[in-house]
Amino acid sequence: MPVVELAGVTKTYENKIAVRDLSLSIDAGQMFGLLGPNGAGKTSSIRMMMGITLPDSGQVNLFNQPFERKSLERVGYLPEERGLYKKMKVLEQLVFFGELHGLVKEEARKRAAVWTKRLEIDDVLEKKTEELSKGMQQKIQFIGSLLHDPGLIVMDEPFSGLDPLNAKLLEHTLLELKDQGKAILFSTHRMDQVEKLCDSICLINNGEAVLAGRMREIKSRYERNHVIVEFEGSSAFLNSTEIADAKNYSGHAEIRLKPHGDAQKLLQEASAAATIYRFELVEPSLEEIFIQTVGGKADA
Amino acid sequence: MRNMLLIARREYMEQVRGRAFRMTTVGLPAVFALVVGIGYLASLGLGANRHMAVAASDPRLANEIRNQLLGDKEAKAKVDVIAPATSEQRASLVKQVQSKAIDGVLWVQTPAGSAPTATYTSQSSGDFITMDRLKSALNHAMLDEGLTGGGMKRIAADALVNGVSIETFQVKKDGSVVKSNAQASFWKGYVMAFLLSMTTMIYGMNVARSIIQEKTSRIFEVMLAIAKPGDLLAGKLIGVGAVGLTQIAIWLVAGAAILFSPFAAALLTGDFAINVTWTEAVLFPVYFVLGYLLYSSLFAGLAATCETEQELQMYMPLAAAPTWLSFALILLVINDSNSFWSVAASLFPPTAPVIMFMRMASEIPPVWQFAASIGLLLASIYGVLWFSTRLYRVGILMYGKRATLPELMRWLRYS
Repeated sequence: MPVVELAGVTKTYENKIAVRDLSLSIDAGQMFGLLGPNGAGKTSSIRMMMGITLPDSGQVNLFNQPFERKSLERVGYLPEERGLYKKMKVLEQLVFFGELHGLVKEEARKRAAVWTKRLEIDDVLEKKTEELSKGMQQKIQFIGSLLHDPGLIVMDEPFSGLDPLNAKLLEHTLLELKDQGKAILFSTHRMDQVEKLCDSICLINNGEAVLAGRMREIKSRYERNHVIVEFEGSSAFLNSTEIADAKNYSGHAEIRLKPHGDAQKLLQEASAAATIYRFELVEPSLEEIFIQTVGGKADA
Repeated sequence: MRNMLLIARREYMEQVRGRAFRMTTVGLPAVFALVVGIGYLASLGLGANRHMAVAASDPRLANEIRNQLLGDKEAKAKVDVIAPATSEQRASLVKQVQSKAIDGVLWVQTPAGSAPTATYTSQSSGDFITMDRLKSALNHAMLDEGLTGGGMKRIAADALVNGVSIETFQVKKDGSVVKSNAQASFWKGYVMAFLLSMTTMIYGMNVARSIIQEKTSRIFEVMLAIAKPGDLLAGKLIGVGAVGLTQIAIWLVAGAAILFSPFAAALLTGDFAINVTWTEAVLFPVYFVLGYLLYSSLFAGLAATCETEQELQMYMPLAAAPTWLSFALILLVINDSNSFWSVAASLFPPTAPVIMFMRMASEIPPVWQFAASIGLLLASIYGVLWFSTRLYRVGILMYGKRATLPELMRWLRYS
């Protein structure tokens, strides 16, 4: 049963169609990636999901019911535009967000203490938000969106601005939440994270869904015509007639074969020219699928 | 409703804890008292301690002028008399003015068969207080001389010359007649109107500034996913308004404590006796709340369309125009608080709070006029809120450029 569902949703701003006839659904316990180039309509879609703007046509369902504001008490939202009350202390701020989501003060206070400890920032509870680093502020906002134990978590670019350690910490947290049965939607430009974390994706471009489905199923649609080679010696084999495109990173090459290109023939040519440590025929990465699908159509 | 109150509480706590609140709570009355005090103290010494010479052809008149000038205790003047004076003596006195040995010389001529003439020569052309004193002394002296010269006794002549002071009484609605003081009434009305307009504007601006800051910090995106735009705006207006009421309450309590102290009792007597009626004490917060809601909801709508505080500043003179108009009408209202224009201005919502308080200082207006002005204020607050909420709910999510007029019209249609 879908936790969130957009059915044929369209949104137009003045003369620009931001989202056109978009449909998607996310089930409980599913991690969903909303992808697209800048200006594709990701934030507009999320804003409609959150009731910040209303669709011109189509329907938004939350928790299997037509959208109503009351349902937002069960949603955690981390927008792309980060914002906190700078003069407030961290604990006060978290309690305020918790209360707005329906928690009583004491419960919000307890949960804030647990979450800040979990994300390793329990030493800043009495500090003013403006005194914290950007990464810390992002963690505060992350906690603020989860304090009320939402069934649906919507995160717009949750990892931007975080160092690798903190990004890892947030990734683990999201995976734990997914295991607890939460439905999670996040939009990002980081294809490696989507590939690693998401069960399903929807790629939108110019407001329209151009690719959607379960990750495994999408990748299987593409031919295994990518080769990763690790080698030592001459890179002359990269000029092979079997290759459509190759990137050479000093001993590590990523190769796209021509349609019906012969991988075995390429292996022979490579081993004749260099010592081969790795030769692996792989599916295209999500990044390659993204570039291939969106091509030169991106706005920015 | 719960979220609106939570937002109001947050807004209230943040502002009350802020340094700006402490500064304005103590600072605003202090600055006001300082300005009034300096003005008053400065006025005490204006035109005083002048050393003047009175040169006249008629020694009796010259001495009478001197007596009149010395009789004015506030003037603390030193007066030399040269009479009968010659043209050479006059020229010599002018030289003394030039060398600052004396401040000025009054030259009076009373040629037989024609009207007397007088000239005053000094180094200052703008000393109008001294000029008023000299004019009064000269006219009184001439009148006195004329009357006693005609055979009237000096006591009778002095009584006529000094005039009769008029005590003022006011008939209240219940028929009682009480002693009144026009000057004290004016100052009371002026101070209350000033505090009312200042607090209304300051807190209206606070709402606008707070919206711009939240727009800049991008907090709206988070808040809109939790609360409705109407609750956000209402919470902000209630929170900031409560801060204003807290400040007024502090001023009233502090003011009452000072007014009822023995020290103030000794000072605030006679012309400075000020009494605040219950009607004024009750209506002051009422008109503050209504005036504040009218201006702050207008400022909130304008702020939502702006990107920076600098942009907002451009709208402020326009938004503050009704307050300026209120103060421009003060003399008209004080002179005749029941004239058509006084009543109209006290009913016109943008000027109603200030003008009603100025009218109350002279005379308590009829109940129907209070009811009408409050009713009209409520109706206009509703109208302004209608527009502002629509601008607000779209404007707070618009970043990057200032909205044009056609865009604003579209925003009104969106909602």
